[in-house]
Amino acid sequence: MSNAREKKRAKKMRNQPASVTLSSDCGPCPSGIQHHNGGSRSFQTPKQADLHPDSSQEFQQQRHQHQSPGPSYRKEQYFSKGQSRGRGGWRGGHQNVSQEMPKYVTASTFAQARAAEINAMLKAVTQKSSNSLVFQTLPRHMRRRAMSHNIKRLPRRLREIARKEAEKAVHQKKEHSKNKCRKARRRHVNLVVEFNRRQKKNIWLETHIWHAKRFHMVKKWGYCLGDRPTTKSYRACYRAMTKHCLLQDLSYYCCLELNGKEEELLKVLARMCSIDTGPTFAAVPCLSGRLQGSLVLYRADRYPEDLLGPITFIWKPKDGSGITSETRQLWIWTHPSLKQDILTELKTVFQCSEPVKTCSPEPIVTLLQEEKQTDVAMIVGKKRKREDNEGEQAVPLKKIIGDGTRVPLQSYCWTSQTTGVVISDLTMEILRYRLIGPLSHCVLTEALKTASIQTEMADAETELNNWWVENCKNSEKVSLHQRQEAIFELLQGISSPSEIAAGTILGLTVGDPRVNLPKKRSKAMPNPEKYQDNEKVRQLLLEGVPLECAHSFIWDQTICKNVTENKISEQDLNHMRGELLVPGSQLDLGPCESKIPILLVQQPGKVAGEDRPGWGSGWDIYLPKGWGMAFWIPFVYRGARVGGLQEGMKHSEYKRSPHIPNDFPDCPAGIQFAKELENVLLEKFKRRPPAKRANYVKLGTLAPFLCPWGQLTRDWEVRNKAQEESVVTSSAESKSSATERQVPCEPKPGLIIEDSQGDMMEEMAKIQNLCKEDGAATSSGFFVLRNRKLLKQLSARCRPTCGKGQRVRPASKLGQKEMTEDALLSIFKCYPRVLVWVSLSLLRKGSPELHAMICIPTQEDFLQLNKDQLFCGPQEPKHSDIFKHKILKLKERKKKKNNGNALESGASDALEAKAVEEPKELILGLWPDPLPDVTSHCSRILLGFVTQGDFSLAAGCGEALGFVNLTGLLHMLSSQPTDKKGLVLLRTPASLQYRFARLNIEV
Amino acid sequence: MVRFKHRYLLCEIVSEDPRCRQCIDERAVSAAAKDAVARTHGDYGLACCSISFTVKYLNAYTGIVLLRCRKDFYRLLWSALPFVTYLENRNQRYSCFFNTLHVGGTIRTCQKFLVQYNRKQLLLLLHNCTSEEERQSIQKSVLSCCLKEVEEEQSQSGDEEDDCAETD
Repeated sequence: MSNAREKKRAKKMRNQPASVTLSSDCGPCPSGIQHHNGGSRSFQTPKQADLHPDSSQEFQQQRHQHQSPGPSYRKEQYFSKGQSRGRGGWRGGHQNVSQEMPKYVTASTFAQARAAEINAMLKAVTQKSSNSLVFQTLPRHMRRRAMSHNIKRLPRRLREIARKEAEKAVHQKKEHSKNKCRKARRRHVNLVVEFNRRQKKNIWLETHIWHAKRFHMVKKWGYCLGDRPTTKSYRACYRAMTKHCLLQDLSYYCCLELNGKEEELLKVLARMCSIDTGPTFAAVPCLSGRLQGSLVLYRADRYPEDLLGPITFIWKPKDGSGITSETRQLWIWTHPSLKQDILTELKTVFQCSEPVKTCSPEPIVTLLQEEKQTDVAMIVGKKRKREDNEGEQAVPLKKIIGDGTRVPLQSYCWTSQTTGVVISDLTMEILRYRLIGPLSHCVLTEALKTASIQTEMADAETELNNWWVENCKNSEKVSLHQRQEAIFELLQGISSPSEIAAGTILGLTVGDPRVNLPKKRSKAMPNPEKYQDNEKVRQLLLEGVPLECAHSFIWDQTICKNVTENKISEQDLNHMRGELLVPGSQLDLGPCESKIPILLVQQPGKVAGEDRPGWGSGWDIYLPKGWGMAFWIPFVYRGARVGGLQEGMKHSEYKRSPHIPNDFPDCPAGIQFAKELENVLLEKFKRRPPAKRANYVKLGTLAPFLCPWGQLTRDWEVRNKAQEESVVTSSAESKSSATERQVPCEPKPGLIIEDSQGDMMEEMAKIQNLCKEDGAATSSGFFVLRNRKLLKQLSARCRPTCGKGQRVRPASKLGQKEMTEDALLSIFKCYPRVLVWVSLSLLRKGSPELHAMICIPTQEDFLQLNKDQLFCGPQEPKHSDIFKHKILKLKERKKKKNNGNALESGASDALEAKAVEEPKELILGLWPDPLPDVTSHCSRILLGFVTQGDFSLAAGCGEALGFVNLTGLLHMLSSQPTDKKGLVLLRTPASLQYRFARLNIEV
Repeated sequence: MVRFKHRYLLCEIVSEDPRCRQCIDERAVSAAAKDAVARTHGDYGLACCSISFTVKYLNAYTGIVLLRCRKDFYRLLWSALPFVTYLENRNQRYSCFFNTLHVGGTIRTCQKFLVQYNRKQLLLLLHNCTSEEERQSIQKSVLSCCLKEVEEEQSQSGDEEDDCAETD
């Protein structure tokens, strides 16, 4: 520290003149006569030589130049040679001189002394001495904008110094890209090189550049993704979702393709999912290829534990002939964070271990490349580096299309010897855009035009559209195309995509969407009048899209490759536009127009719950790679607003559906996500000074950055056991009033139907067995309840039973399947560590936040709510910070230790490291790691946590989604009065205020 | 941020006796000045003046001294300087007096003034010189301080020119 300061000072003082004295060592001359002539100079020079060696050099040189004859000067020269050796040599010389010197003052010495001083002063005045840059020394009123950038903005007298400084700065900087001028850097070839380099680490989507200009980009899951727009568009995006169309690039979703015999696939896949959680791979409409299915995958035979994650899947529809119906193609679409787990599990389940080399017709491409004399490395990496026709001839460098991070020699295709099932990883091979909103099909129908029938090749040499020409020769297929076209046209007559069956698939072949691009951005609006009383529309709504129409050429990889390779480049297209006779008229490419196979899949909106059915529904569009921007811009020009990851999250929040991977705490990706989130939040928390951040210990929040699901479930288990024992031993002395109230709660009368109960009993037995096994195997794990039947029952029980007439009916309808309390309880008792996905809506004020706590209200809270309708909720009493004292003590001790070290001046690194590590254990305002009993830490008993929460623009009140412990939930429901069923308390981590919320389980 | 403002007194030590030069050093000068202040202004004056009083620069050959004092009290110091009549060093006492050349707010202005002042002095010497030899030597020294600037520029522009200058 002090060393650095000295250095700084030395630098500052380097140009300043030092005091010059006659050497005190030599003392008074014995003769008492002062030398004057040469002596003065010889005295001065050594001083300067000591202080600034470089300047003295100059001085010497100069002196040699201007030597004049004379004895004194010769002497002087002799000195100047000797002076650099040190003082000793110099002093001897001096004494000699002093004896020879005359006793009078001559003008020349006088002049020389002054000349030397002038030089020293000049140096001090003209040269900058401070550590600051030149323009920083200027007074404020003389400063100008961008002075450091442009020397000419400085006053002329300072330019020279500034120029030197600027040069130095350039040297210090490690500049490599700047060595080319901007024009060179922006040249297309160099841009492509740079872009290719930058997407080696993280995969770029095809719309990356477009997004990077308009979005905050984040690196997630190995991709560069747009997080949220840079413009203020929170509400605008919501409006687009509800009223118009929100566009999202979901190309980062990963597609895994399974190829094999149908029964083989089904047999193995059945092990990975359960019928309890909903329709599986074998569901009839999905298996035929009409609908897209969605389910949650588990590790094989491990249900209900070991979740892998939610997926959607599409079966390729069977060919009409039925000959090849044996081998089927299945696409499984997963989130990138889940992909690796699912892929490895699939590989082990199908025993696919050998990589397949011939999964793509690579040799052809390789040959092409060799002709183009690119180097070997390029050939190997060829598979992913393709480009448009134009560039292929001119530029040897390829724009990366698809996954830029793939290792060239590694295979992404695996086969199994026993079953012949082939698994291939189609990541980034198929693009996927999502359009959300009621007008999304208007955008689609306006932007896309179905391909025209073409029977003649445009050019015999190119393979452009040869597959299409081939196809058009078959009359059957032409008629199929026409039917698809007709249905696509009919979509305009539908007011919202939610009117069509969920997951409807429509295959299409469309023309180049860039051809009919509007000149200006406009909003696509439907014209329902045209289709007002159309019989066909009604038929479509009733029957859905017929099975044949789900067929698309996108399933064929060779066709996709052909389409990708034969894309007309943007440049060519613009060139052709420029050559049009009437500028701005419609471009007609004729037979040259590309035909692109696409797949449209309806995305169901809000299916669970009662309000806003079908909210947020839309269409997903699947494209072959390489065509990303060609479709993106037309959609944007039709008025679709683009959203990023944040908008996607809001969409799922308003839809009240779990978001991947945030809301899957029992899958590996979800655990990983929670850890990362905790780190981020903790870092953010620690960046604030302790006095300016919330003290979560005082607020009674045990885990503000993480949901301790494991501990929550464990605590509830312990609690439950304790209660049971207390009930068994002495029902009279009830420890808590809650258990007492559990007893008088009467079973619902007349709701039991014999066979359904039998059904239930069977299931119960099954589950009990399961749970016993699981309990033995993994005692620490928890899992999320996804059994639809149980969830439905729970959902019915959560509702207040006596209320308005409306409410009673659905409850009683569902109640048919309901069983007695005891039976239900006994089932859930063997589910000791289970979480349930719930949605909460606040009754009054308040907007819940991430990690807000869901608590059980007490009897008094209900009493107060009854008394006062405006009652917001109880307050949590302030807790005392028991750790504050400890932290202070630790701090003091550390200080002492540090002081001791400083005195010893031997502060070793190890000690310091320890000192750094110590506060890691105790952070002011946070509970240290072994948490106490989370359920009973606060005045209200904790039930669960919120994983998504915000003010919902869709519902107009605060809404939250989260998980609660099943045991706790049942315990609460059984103790609550019937008209207040499902009321819970919500408390955000940084507040003491509880707020009432209604709990719902939506199936 | 408010800085402490100072005044710098640029003085010349004038002495009849050439031996006086050898006793010009920081300690002697500051002792002499403080002594004078104490005599003229008493303890109060001494205390005021000795706050941040230092000798920033001195040159024994030319007899130039740069004294620093707080801006509030520089008048005390200034008025006391005429009362310095001798410098004492190692039990040797030489009579001299201080001639204040300039009072400045920064060292830099003092330095600038000193450059001007020395130039004037050199020119005066040149005018008044008596012999040809003297004249030449003074001219040489004048040139040395002026040429230096020229040469610096040259050395910056390149080594070749430097070489040329040397051969000349």
